[in-house]
Amino acid sequence: MRLVLTVNGTAHEVDPPPSASLLSVLRDDLGLTGTRFGCGSGQCGACYVIADGRAVASCLMPARQAAEREITTIEGLAQGEALHPVQDAFIAEDAMQCGYCTSGMIVSAAALLARDAAPDDAAIRDALAGNLCRCGVYGRAIRAVRRAADALGVEGARAPAMGE
Amino acid sequence: MNLEERIRVEPDGSVTAFSGKIEFGQGIRTAFTQLVANELDVPVERVRVVLGDTEQVPFDFGTFGSNSVAQEAPALRRAAAFARRTLIERAATRLGVPATGLNTQDGTIGDGNGERVSYADLVREAPLAGAIPDDEPLLPPDRWRHIGKPLSRVEARDIVTGRARYTADVRLQGLARGAIARPPARGARAKGVDDRAARSMPGVVAVVHDGDIVGVVAEREEQARAAADALEIDWEAPQREALATQVVPLREDADTDGALASAALTRSATYTLPSIASASIGPSAAVALVGSDGATIYAGTHRPFGLRDAVAGRVGLPQDRVRVMPQMSSGTYGRSSAPDVSIEAAVLSKHARRPVLVQWSRAEEFAYSPSRPEAVLEVTAGLDADGKIVAWRYDEHTNVHTAAGPDPRVAAMTSGRNAIPPYAIPSAHVVLHVEPTPLRTANFRSLAAAENVFAIESFVDELAHASHQDPLAFRMRHVDDPRLRRVMERVADASGYGRKVPDRRGHGFACTLYHGTYVAQVAEVEVSSSGVVRVWRVWCVVDPGLVINPDGVRNQVEGGIQQSASWTLLEELRHKGGRVATTSWDTYPIATFRDAPESIEVLVEGDANAPSTGVGEPGAVPSAAAIANAVFAACGARVRDVPLTRERVRKAAQPVA
Repeated sequence: MRLVLTVNGTAHEVDPPPSASLLSVLRDDLGLTGTRFGCGSGQCGACYVIADGRAVASCLMPARQAAEREITTIEGLAQGEALHPVQDAFIAEDAMQCGYCTSGMIVSAAALLARDAAPDDAAIRDALAGNLCRCGVYGRAIRAVRRAADALGVEGARAPAMGE
Repeated sequence: MNLEERIRVEPDGSVTAFSGKIEFGQGIRTAFTQLVANELDVPVERVRVVLGDTEQVPFDFGTFGSNSVAQEAPALRRAAAFARRTLIERAATRLGVPATGLNTQDGTIGDGNGERVSYADLVREAPLAGAIPDDEPLLPPDRWRHIGKPLSRVEARDIVTGRARYTADVRLQGLARGAIARPPARGARAKGVDDRAARSMPGVVAVVHDGDIVGVVAEREEQARAAADALEIDWEAPQREALATQVVPLREDADTDGALASAALTRSATYTLPSIASASIGPSAAVALVGSDGATIYAGTHRPFGLRDAVAGRVGLPQDRVRVMPQMSSGTYGRSSAPDVSIEAAVLSKHARRPVLVQWSRAEEFAYSPSRPEAVLEVTAGLDADGKIVAWRYDEHTNVHTAAGPDPRVAAMTSGRNAIPPYAIPSAHVVLHVEPTPLRTANFRSLAAAENVFAIESFVDELAHASHQDPLAFRMRHVDDPRLRRVMERVADASGYGRKVPDRRGHGFACTLYHGTYVAQVAEVEVSSSGVVRVWRVWCVVDPGLVINPDGVRNQVEGGIQQSASWTLLEELRHKGGRVATTSWDTYPIATFRDAPESIEVLVEGDANAPSTGVGEPGAVPSAAAIANAVFAACGARVRDVPLTRERVRKAAQPVA
């Protein structure tokens, strides 16, 4: 099944089996292994990617459906060497242990901040509720999302000034 | 041990250190980096730590019991200090000055008068080598630049960008995928395999039937699974040998029964904990490349050398022809002590003659991983007229806690871990009963300590209330160890233990001494009128001796508390005759972002004069009792069965007619 997928701004032609999920194509055809396999049924968040602005479970999305969308994976959040503010904030708060669930958490947080620049605590918890973490870094991750929101707020406030 | 086995100063002046311990997210790579950078006086960015590669690192039994920092810190520091001294001696010869006048700075050695030589120059002609003296002097604390300083995980940038490579991300040339056909009952063997349909399916490379392993190798994961499902297998029911219960006395003082009989007050209680799953977010995975003359295994494992030997035995290769290269691993909390998935990948690779990746499905992970054993803990204690404990009888009933199976030589330190309370008790009788179970049980974070400490710290709380004493003061009357007393007092201060809290809320106290690490916790919970327990805040004071990375310690202890709160309130692995019924996140829910406490405040108050001890497990150990004691304080419900479900809390809160 020939498909053209747009991932991280680049079009890729792939030929997976008809039943392939977006996750399988990302990991096995495109070599984008930063999106992790966790459960295969959309219950853990390890495989989240951003599809048309929303965080979704790539394990549940058929590859052919993904071909109609703009997909951003964890590998696509940084601009060259400059990390996304959520990535910077997760490092600053050391909001990780084994790190297996971190890609999915960062994807959820980036999608949240793109639609809500100043989420309160409950909004952060709700937005990340689909991302399971067994090591137990929830508290740090919540702080990291708040830190990223603050950093984005400062950037946002600065942006008009730069345009003048 | 020789320096070259431990530390290498590279031609570019960077430093490589070697250890047989394993990173599972505990931050040991970061702590080891700090230790080596400290003693060699180089920036942390110049240190690389190789963990667990059996071709490169010295032999090590493995990573368990929170022993990695405790065991490795002294050895790595001595090695790095010896390397530094050797470099200074070489610099003295090079510069023609006495070594005493030289000092290190950022990977160079200078005489204070402008003459400097770099480590890179000093190893150009000959690598560092020689036996590391046991008494090699270490840098004095006033020269420390990295020990005791918070440092983010050295893998952090790779993790947040997705570049971090976990086992299932290993991509070898020609990599194929494996899937295993699972028997209907654990231990069943395939008598016959009809693979005609499977062999003709798309992508299938090989169907393998080798001893207890039946599986398919295919080009893609989906194809391997579909073909494994299409195998027609005639299974032979397992022959189970009847195992006997092992009874292991842990403490047998004279006349405990007499002391109980003459006590002014006696109380008895029974506590139970269910089996729980390690519930790793990343299911078990391994990549194997097995040829006729050697094998390489990429895996997450607690025991790289044990895994090497197990694979060698199974595929028929000499041990020194098998290389285990541990990869970054999803946290598995003890589960990766078992070699299962690596053996499967190795057997499939041997027959398919291709490198093979096996990654278990979520259902396989729940159904076939070893889990934490069940526990039934029976305790009776007697108090004298002054309200002090005079006698203690404790029977721990559980199952085997080690992947290697029941072993009377290690039962006391594994299944019996922390069964003996840290309190001064004149006469005690503590007996461990390791009972057979149809469930596959093995190593789990803190082994039996979490279960035993739940029972002991709940019961001590009950004894305090029964004798009208404050639970903290009651404990203090039985604690002599000044370090334990200190963490208990400090957490009481930090939390305001004993102060008034809002209606339906309560504070619960618990503490432990786990493998040399002192931990005291206070949990604040709220119990709704329907019995739902919400953990609002947890305070914890931890003393792990000399602290290498304070934020690393905080992170580990916070995580231990969060994970333990999940065990305590939500988790129960259900099974029937060893066949697990809870095989998805639907049926085995764990704590989510919505359940996380408002705050988990961990105060790291180490003792710089005491050896470093581990922090991977101890934070998780007292939390269940702190939460259960807080539930009692909040609503008077004494729940002795974990998990503390709404029904159990409601039932326990009913006033007795």
